[in-house]
Amino acid sequence: MSSDHFIDHISTEELTHVSTHMKIVLRIRRCNMLKAPVLCEDLVKVYNSRKTKVTALDHLSLTVKEGEVFGLLGPNGAGKTTLVRILTTLLKATSGYVEVGGFDVDKQENKVRQIIGYAGQDSERSAYWRLTVRENLLYFAHALRDIPIKISKERIEEIAEGVRFKDRLDRHFIALSGGEKQLVIVMRAILHNPQVCFLDEPSKSLDPMTARRVRTYLKKYAQEHGMTLIITTHNMLEAEEVCDRLALINNGKLRFTGTPTEFKKKVAMKETLEIGVDNLSQELESNLLALQGVQNISHNPNVRLYCNDAFDTLPDVVAVLKKSGLKVPVRMVEPSLEDAFTFFVENGKEEVKTNA
Amino acid sequence: MPNPVKLFYMSVWRNLLTMTRYKANFVFDLLSSVLFGFGSLIFVMAFDTNILGNMIGSTNYVAFFIIGISFQSWQGTALWGSAGMFQGELSSGQIDYTFSCPFSRYWYIASNIAASALQSTLFFIPMFCVALYFTNTTVTSLGLFLGLMATMVSVAALAQLGAIFASLVLKYRQTTAIFSFFNFAFQLLTGMFVPFQLLPVPLQMVGYTLPITFGIDLMRCYVMQTRSIMPVEYEWAGLFLQLIILSVIAKLTVMYLEKSAKEQGLHYL
Repeated sequence: MSSDHFIDHISTEELTHVSTHMKIVLRIRRCNMLKAPVLCEDLVKVYNSRKTKVTALDHLSLTVKEGEVFGLLGPNGAGKTTLVRILTTLLKATSGYVEVGGFDVDKQENKVRQIIGYAGQDSERSAYWRLTVRENLLYFAHALRDIPIKISKERIEEIAEGVRFKDRLDRHFIALSGGEKQLVIVMRAILHNPQVCFLDEPSKSLDPMTARRVRTYLKKYAQEHGMTLIITTHNMLEAEEVCDRLALINNGKLRFTGTPTEFKKKVAMKETLEIGVDNLSQELESNLLALQGVQNISHNPNVRLYCNDAFDTLPDVVAVLKKSGLKVPVRMVEPSLEDAFTFFVENGKEEVKTNA
Repeated sequence: MPNPVKLFYMSVWRNLLTMTRYKANFVFDLLSSVLFGFGSLIFVMAFDTNILGNMIGSTNYVAFFIIGISFQSWQGTALWGSAGMFQGELSSGQIDYTFSCPFSRYWYIASNIAASALQSTLFFIPMFCVALYFTNTTVTSLGLFLGLMATMVSVAALAQLGAIFASLVLKYRQTTAIFSFFNFAFQLLTGMFVPFQLLPVPLQMVGYTLPITFGIDLMRCYVMQTRSIMPVEYEWAGLFLQLIILSVIAKLTVMYLEKSAKEQGLHYL
């Protein structure tokens, strides 16, 4: 029996009779056969304090495949960092099951720690300021990751070469710019050649050129070393360029998983018309929405109309604008990942696509 | 331009909010001031060399005091070194990386304490030499060796307490006042600056549970030829017993507090 069809050979009727736990176990077994490096089942995380109770993750299930570059997208406070913290053994889930590299995060946390790399959000200060970059990386590799000194030194050179940082290896950490510090933290995350690497907003403080260089290197590194890379980001360009698949999380719930192309298609944005203004009157917006070809409107930052057939709809749109006395450019544009992101977040009740 | 009065009362408001936000730390801040008041009464008595002579069999208060001070430098490292390290890691965010690495948390703390203790030895040695100078001819090579051994075992036992305090940082985040309370309490209860025999019996009972008491008493006994609190064999046995018991407690505490801290996340300060 093929592992892909393992669960499919159990009838729906049979499945309804087994307990939820059993269903989870069956799914897990299936995933182990597929060697899923990351698996979350029905994950819930509630932060409890005396005054408040915040549900950061709400029954979230997710699978990441081996060697995949996987992007976690979502607005601020969506639950991305909480998810990464649970996967990296830093936070305990309230309920649900989590596996990384086939190890139970709750019960085999040290085994998980052996195979993961991690660069946290806002962690650009998280090294020894008075040591040089090389000394810092050597300390982390040898003391905390148990890599022999000789190999550590070679790895430092190799990675620094990859991200073009060799000339700054002997500078004190404190003397680096914010972006350079962030780069060192990213280098530290892959120093021990982890099986699964989690990077929480890795390019946040990097300039566009360095960010591009780093993501190209990471993508290549992941492919060459079979490393599974999980990135949280707000940078849609980064997500589109690097990620094989994406997950969109909003209010702790998984809204979507799939490829960037599927992500864009999912919101039925085959064609888009952009109007050269950032706002329209409510009446004009209603008139445009009333047109047969227009499906939705967003402000991103210009007004965008999502249509089934932009070419056919264009004359009607121009006519409506003309009627209202508005003479602004209207053009057909390719929908971007950012359009899809905005659409999903603004229309938060979208169904979950679980083709993981 | 901002009004100075407004700046003043808003600064008071800001400080009050910061001070009371970490409840445990705030309570220990208050307790410390009370303890300091009572402690001073006991400290004052130690300046009477007659009392000192009657209690420990030596009137050499200078040597007595300097040995106390030099012991304090190691005690400070063993007890608070790793807690300070964790506080630094918490504020820089490094703790997230550290705690995603595969090693025993207990040994991470213990190794860092040992490293800091080695560093503190630099400060311990000059002070100890000054103390030796004031003890004149009473010190022998064997006495010196045994005194240092007692200090080592005592610091090893203290490091276990240090591991417990370090884990408290993971749970309570802001612990400066808790530390200063215990630091002063330990100075008071262990005979560091006043003869242990001078303490009221209930305080002596507490002092017996702390490894500094036997460590410093053995050190003075070997180096200054003072009268020990109890037979030295008992003190050595007590010291090793404390080392074993505190090691077990420290391991369990580190484990428990890390688990407990993981409920809210290490990043929640």
